[in-house]
Amino acid sequence: MARRHLIIGGGTAGMNAIRTIREEETERSTITLVSAEKPYSRMVLPYYLDRSIAESHVFTATARVLADWGVTTQMGKRATALDTKANVCTLDDGTTVEYDDCVIATGSSAVRAPVPGADGPGVHSFWTLDQARGVLAQIQPGSHVVMVGAGFIAFTILNSILSLGAKLTIVEVAPRILPRMIDDAGAGLVQAWLEQNGVAVRPGAKLTRIDDAKGRRRLKMAAGGDLVADIVIMATGIRTNLDWLKGSDVKINQGVVVDDHLRSSVPNVYAAGDVAEGRDLISQTNAVHAIEPTAQEHGRIVGANMAGKDVRYRGSLIINIVEVCHLDVASFGAWDDAKAETASGVKADRPAYRKLLWRGDRLTGAIILGPSSDIWTTNDVGMLKGLVQSGVSLGAWKAHLKKNPFDIKPAFIATKTTGSLLPETILGRPSKAPGESPVAV
Amino acid sequence: MRVLKIHPEKCTGCLRCELACSYMQTGDYQPAKSVIRVSPFEGHTSYAPYTCTQCDEAWCMTACPVGAITINAVGAKDVVDDRCVGCKAFKCNLCGGAPACAEACPTAAITYEDVETADWLGDFARERTARVLAEVR
Repeated sequence: MARRHLIIGGGTAGMNAIRTIREEETERSTITLVSAEKPYSRMVLPYYLDRSIAESHVFTATARVLADWGVTTQMGKRATALDTKANVCTLDDGTTVEYDDCVIATGSSAVRAPVPGADGPGVHSFWTLDQARGVLAQIQPGSHVVMVGAGFIAFTILNSILSLGAKLTIVEVAPRILPRMIDDAGAGLVQAWLEQNGVAVRPGAKLTRIDDAKGRRRLKMAAGGDLVADIVIMATGIRTNLDWLKGSDVKINQGVVVDDHLRSSVPNVYAAGDVAEGRDLISQTNAVHAIEPTAQEHGRIVGANMAGKDVRYRGSLIINIVEVCHLDVASFGAWDDAKAETASGVKADRPAYRKLLWRGDRLTGAIILGPSSDIWTTNDVGMLKGLVQSGVSLGAWKAHLKKNPFDIKPAFIATKTTGSLLPETILGRPSKAPGESPVAV
Repeated sequence: MRVLKIHPEKCTGCLRCELACSYMQTGDYQPAKSVIRVSPFEGHTSYAPYTCTQCDEAWCMTACPVGAITINAVGAKDVVDDRCVGCKAFKCNLCGGAPACAEACPTAAITYEDVETADWLGDFARERTARVLAEVR
């Protein structure tokens, strides 16, 4: 059994791997964590930005906790090379770390639109804690913030920007907002909702350059209608942090290609989270998901396998859930499958929208939006996720849902989806509470 | 572990469980704030309550990035308020071992028992929705 584990990356995937190794191992192993940043949760940065939590609350493990877990840390350093024959990882300060097995969990970085001025003053990304500090230091009540890009990441911080009293304009190059999260009909409803809440939204708008305008930023738009901003936030996508693996034996496609145990082409090298190209639950083909739930499940599967267990992963489900101005917006699974049978329903005045997608009589994807205050929206979000994840056979309920796409609950209950989900556990055993683990040996 | 066992055939739809739950959890008598919810079947001629099954995987607990959902003394997945930073999760915690819904139920349709958690409503719902489905076809 591997005695020396190396965790490369201190994000969600890496931290879940560490915790699961300690939960699952039968003999105490050594764990080394290489992390460029102190471990924190990206998911809570919007609450740091709106000042509802202190910076100290974003961290997922302090030095003290890592010491309690028996983790040797190489903090503030990046991996620069992996020699998979000698089983040695080299860090950017020249340190070398030997391992018996390791997990690549180096995550992803924000990319900016390739336009002149994108790296200038007053232009920010919002992905890391450091970048969050940068936005927080500059934003003021009354600031005009222009968000370039209207994807999921942008939407996670809209509420925070508004609650700080800033004025917000969103520009998106695609013809609609949230192009990789919801369809046209849903995007139209969300856009109208945002406009009602005082947000200016400009889809189909191409940014060509950013210039200085007496200390403010002038955003030159291809079709005219230039914008002047105090702060520009580029939410124009992410890319995997894999350049450091060039020249290694680890097979890379869109990400590190992994098998159903999350092993790469090199058997004692695993990959997890945003860098891993693993199985998608619905399509059963490999894909890079780069979402939090996948990173969390990947980390746990890898941790168990590194600890000597034999845990197969069923694949991860695409889950996007965001709330903007008290409107819940979510999509699950293959929500954009052009070959699926579909049904949708809309109540434009609320607004509320459901789109359901089937292959055969199984729900393979869904889009839902509705006011957060509607109990049926919240309930339906959970039940749609359960229906897509479990893949229960809907039988005659399919016809019912086609006519009544808002009537999710009786279909969920009567198809015994609960019974199908109850035995499903990622690790083949009940999950342990965060406070209970890792268990001291 | 003791769990909430639902006996749907005994439910009269009186909603006392929802009132008791909301009062115990929030201090308000408001079914909207209840984490147990009664569903109607067959055009409001039969009813059944549904709440958290306290499942083994505990997706809510594993998903929380800051470890704010934990397992309390009676085995329920419970939100630790001072660790919760943002999404303000709100869920059944079995009232710490004295579930108000079970106590409030006048017909023992909700009992607190030492049994394996299960899909208590599936069979009942399948039977009570047969007519609705027949009309669709």
